[in-house]
Order: sequence, then C-alpha cells, then structure tokens
Amino acid sequence: MWQQHRYKLLSSLLLLLSGLLLAIHSGSAKQATEFDWLDILGEGTTLLVACGWLGLIISSRPAGRVTEWLYYGSLLLVYSYFLDLLDEFIRYPDAIRLMSWLESLPAPVGMLILTYGLVGWHREQRAINRQLQGRELFLRQHQLIDPLTQLYGAAYLQAVLQREIELHQSQHKTLSLLVVDIDNFSQFNRQHGMAAGDAYLSQLSELLSSQLRHSDLVCRYAGDRFIALLPDTAEPQAQIMAQHLRQQLPQLSDSNNDPATTVVALAVRQGSTKAAFKAAEQALALAKQAANFSYKPA
Amino acid sequence: MNARRFGYQDTPGFGYQDKILLLQHGSSELLALAQRRGATLSKLLTGTSIFEQDLHKPHGRLHHADWLKLLHNCQQQLNSPELAFLLGSALLNSRYISLCQCLQASANLRQALAQLWYFRHQLFPAVYATVYLLPQQQAITIELQPAVGLANQQPFVMTVLCSLLLNLLKQQLGTTEGINVQLQSGCSAKQLQAQLHWDCAVNFNQPCDSISIPLSLWQQPFSDADPEHFRAARRSCLQLNRVLPRQRGLLEQVCRLQQRALPELLSHEQVADVLGLSASSLKRQLSQHHTNFVRLLDQVRRDQARRLLQQGHYSNRQLAQQLGYSDEHNFRRAFKRWTGLIPTDFKGLFNFN
Repeated sequence: MWQQHRYKLLSSLLLLLSGLLLAIHSGSAKQATEFDWLDILGEGTTLLVACGWLGLIISSRPAGRVTEWLYYGSLLLVYSYFLDLLDEFIRYPDAIRLMSWLESLPAPVGMLILTYGLVGWHREQRAINRQLQGRELFLRQHQLIDPLTQLYGAAYLQAVLQREIELHQSQHKTLSLLVVDIDNFSQFNRQHGMAAGDAYLSQLSELLSSQLRHSDLVCRYAGDRFIALLPDTAEPQAQIMAQHLRQQLPQLSDSNNDPATTVVALAVRQGSTKAAFKAAEQALALAKQAANFSYKPA
Repeated sequence: MNARRFGYQDTPGFGYQDKILLLQHGSSELLALAQRRGATLSKLLTGTSIFEQDLHKPHGRLHHADWLKLLHNCQQQLNSPELAFLLGSALLNSRYISLCQCLQASANLRQALAQLWYFRHQLFPAVYATVYLLPQQQAITIELQPAVGLANQQPFVMTVLCSLLLNLLKQQLGTTEGINVQLQSGCSAKQLQAQLHWDCAVNFNQPCDSISIPLSLWQQPFSDADPEHFRAARRSCLQLNRVLPRQRGLLEQVCRLQQRALPELLSHEQVADVLGLSASSLKRQLSQHHTNFVRLLDQVRRDQARRLLQQGHYSNRQLAQQLGYSDEHNFRRAFKRWTGLIPTDFKGLFNFN
C-alpha cells in the first residue's frame, strides 16, 4: 500500500528536515546538564506515537480524499511534536518568535484536519457497510473470510445462523435457507483444471451476492456448496428466489460445458444449526435425485 | 549382525537437507492454489531457499526443510481448510507428474497402488505405508506413517495423500462406498471439508492415519484403464528414477528394521550398524527428526499390537510373545499406557464397530 504514497513520504521527510535545519540555524545547542530528561521522555513518546499513526495510515489506506486528510492532519501533529522535542536540546534567542509559533500552531490545526478526516472515514465506513450488505450480518470477523471467494465460511454462518434462529423464533418469523451446489464439480476441475474451477467459484459467488437482497447473507459453506441465509422470508418467497437464481445461473456459462447447479430453498424449522444444516443436506440430496430441480445447460 | 539378516537393501536414507523433491511434484501446484487465494508469492517463499525463477524448471528441486516451511507459510497466510483436499486432487490430475498419469491409466486399484508404492520416493518420500488385511471387514487397510519427522505438518501431508487416493477411486470407480478413512487430526473445519470433498466415512482423532478399502474394489477395472498409456507413463517414471534415486526416510528405515526383527528387540547400536552409521550419528539424526530411538521402538510395538488386535483373536500371552515382552503383565501395562484401555476392552471396541 505504501508505494501509492511515495511522494507524500518524500515531502514529509523534506518538511521535517527543513524544520531541523531552521532550528539548528536559529538556535544554539544546550549543555548536557540543562536537559530535562522527563520532558524529553514525554515529548519523545508523543512523537513516536504520532509517527506510528502516520505509518499505519500509509500502510493500510489506499489513496483517496479521506486518506489525504488523515495523513496531513497527522503530519502536522508530527511536525509540531518534532519541534517540541528539538527545543529540549536547542535554545533559541528570545528575539525569534518564529520557532515557538511553529511549535504550537500546527498541532491544533493538525487535530482539526485529523478530526475532519475521521468524520470522512466514518462516512466511508457506512458506505462500505452498505457495499458489504449481503455478505455480512451483525458480526465482523475477518479471520473467517474464505480467501478465494471473499465470502464468509461455514464457521461464520454457524455463528450467525444460531443467533438468527433464536431471534426469529422469539419474534415468530420464518427464516429460510437457500443452498446452491455445483453438480460434479470435481469432474469439472479435472477437465478444465483447478484454475478454471477456482475462477468459476469466484464468479458464482459474485453472481450470488449480486442477485440476493441486501438483508440476505451468502456464505461459502465448503467446497462447491454455498448457503444463503434469508431472514424474515417465508418458504414460498424463498422458492421464488431459488427459481430466480436458477434462471440467472446460465448467465455465468460462456461455454456449453459449464457444470450443472442445484438450487434448493427451505424454511428453517429446527432449533439448532446442526439440525438445520442436516435438513438442508437432505433437501439437497432429494433435489439432486429429482432432475427437474437442477439447471442443466443446453 | 549383518544387513541381509534383516532383509535390508542398501539404499541410503535421505535427510532434511537433501534435495529429493521435485518442485513440480507438489510445490508449484500448492503455490498456484495459494496465490489464487490471494497469498503473495514472495511471502510464501520467505524462509525457504526456493527462487521464483526455479519454479518452472522441469527438474527444479527442494528439500524437506523447505517443503515443510512452505506448508507452514501457506497455512499461516491463508485460512483455507480446503487447501490440503484440493492439493491432493490437483496432484492427481497434474500433467507434469508421470506417476499420477500412471495411476490413472492402471488396470485396477491393485496395479495403481503397486505403482504408487514402488515409485513413492518420487511423490511422497515423507510417508510410508503398511498394508494389512482385516478378515472380519473383508477390507484391506493401508496405514500411513511419516518416514521423516513432519512435526506439525503431518496432518496436512496425510490429508493430501488420502485426498489423492480417494479422488483416484472416485474418478476411476465412480464410488467411495465402503471406504473408511481414519485420521489422527480432527477439527470441525476439517470434518466439514472431508465430508464434502471425500464423500465417504471419515473418523477423526483416531490412533493412526489409515484408509480401509473393501476387497471387492481392488480388482474392479478402472474406467480410464489404458495399457498403452500405462506403459508409457511407467517408462517415464523409470526414467525419472535416474534423477530421483530410490531413497527412504530414516524413521521408515528404523521402524521397518525393528518391525521385521520382532519379537526380538534391536539395540541402538545394532540398528546404527545395519544402517552404516555410528551410534552417535544415528542419535543425532533421530533428534533432527524430533524423536529418539526408544520412542520409535515403542511406536513400532504399539502399532503392531493394534494391528494384531484388529486382525484376529490373539490372547494377551500370544501378543506379549510376538511383541517381545517378557510376560503378559508388562504387555498389558504398555497397552494401557498407549491407549488408555486394556487389550480386551480395545478388542471389544473394535469388534463392536
């Protein structure tokens, strides 16, 4: 990420260097006996922490307006704290007021800019949350994201489903599940190679998260099986969504030899996640037997 | 004490630092899988002596220390429990591995496994197998054991190998019915993956890694059987033998020697003598594999006891005799230490299943 910010890094270094030169030019060094070590420790720590912020911003954020605000706000803080630390070692003649202005003015300005940046960050986060809808419910735990499809995995689904089951039961609403399974996926992998199989899985995951509603949650259960959680959805409605998906799935195929896919919808009447998954599995096995459920490419 | 008495062939063993693995026999597939899951190549290769430009050389090699580091890097960078399962099937279908081509073109499972066993140093030098019949189940069990110290990568390696075998069965026979897999490891993520990828009975947290395959499947013809293709693939395997000589891991050598010698118990010096090592260098090498001689000896007797109990009805006295214990009380005590059960309970447990 930091490669995007090369010029910023360079200009910040120049700024700090110019501050150092200016200080050396206008003042004279203090004697070692005059140092106040407690002050140096306090101001040094503040400077280090501010530098840490700068590093975190550089290494974790892509270029953009919010990043600029956050960065320049922190930079002003760093500049101010840097001069603050320098004046422990350098004494300035009383006639020159410039150094003390440079020391005290940038910090509050920097704080203001940083705050504005944080507000922007908050807005941005809300936008990202909207973008994530359909891929995430109340819980965020990045360790559980499947690296291939960028959907959450089975562990996340289990945690969320348990909560949703309890919520829906207490509010007397119906919760439904949608299971999508690719038929003979290992055969597909064998014919077209693992890379094609992986590509198909990530395309399918894109399609699924774009075709479902914002309130739904798609997870990659394991292997070639995806499960979507449909909160507050009765079974007939879920069946309609399944039918809709079956119609949308041919969009993916650019050739005739794409794998067939089975889509099943069912309402969750069980009290535990384990039983619910078991029911989903049985429904899927039944659907695979009855050929008319599955979409077959012409 | 001479080597022939133990049926020992004079193939030298290999160590962690011997470059006996081909990059194309696993590493390149693993790296491709990991990269498609968003891992960066340079980070996957950190701590290994593999260079990026060597990856596509047909005979680029690596040693076991690097292989283990690579596996470690993959698992640290990616939270992807499917990796081992996919790697097994990727290996099986790789065009670059003649051994796998050979497996797929075999006439039946018996022939395929004979090839895998004969050429195992080309693909899985770190694992060796013990095969035995279970008369009650009408099945043959293949027990997999590490031939070098795999440390905490053992579950991954065993899963890859099981995955390769099960995929072969699924592709060629179209069924995995009646097959039973036992794995030592077991976490819930892995159980789910096994259920979906393997589609057969899998038991976790078992005393050993093994696959039992019903006798009826062994002679069933493979769907892609092709004698012509088989012979061609086997020829290229034989050619590859010139580059990758048949070598065995140290743990395999020591365990086999001891197993053949039972009920006699070998001493450290005897084994070192047969392997052509000095006693101190055997000790040093074993400690590189994170084990020692006494522990290996104990493992051999433990595994043999379990096999004998599964195979038939032996009395404790017979078992004690076969395993070189002075009397049955010592045997019972050792068995309790291994399994937490006394032998009769273990037998009951097994027959009940």
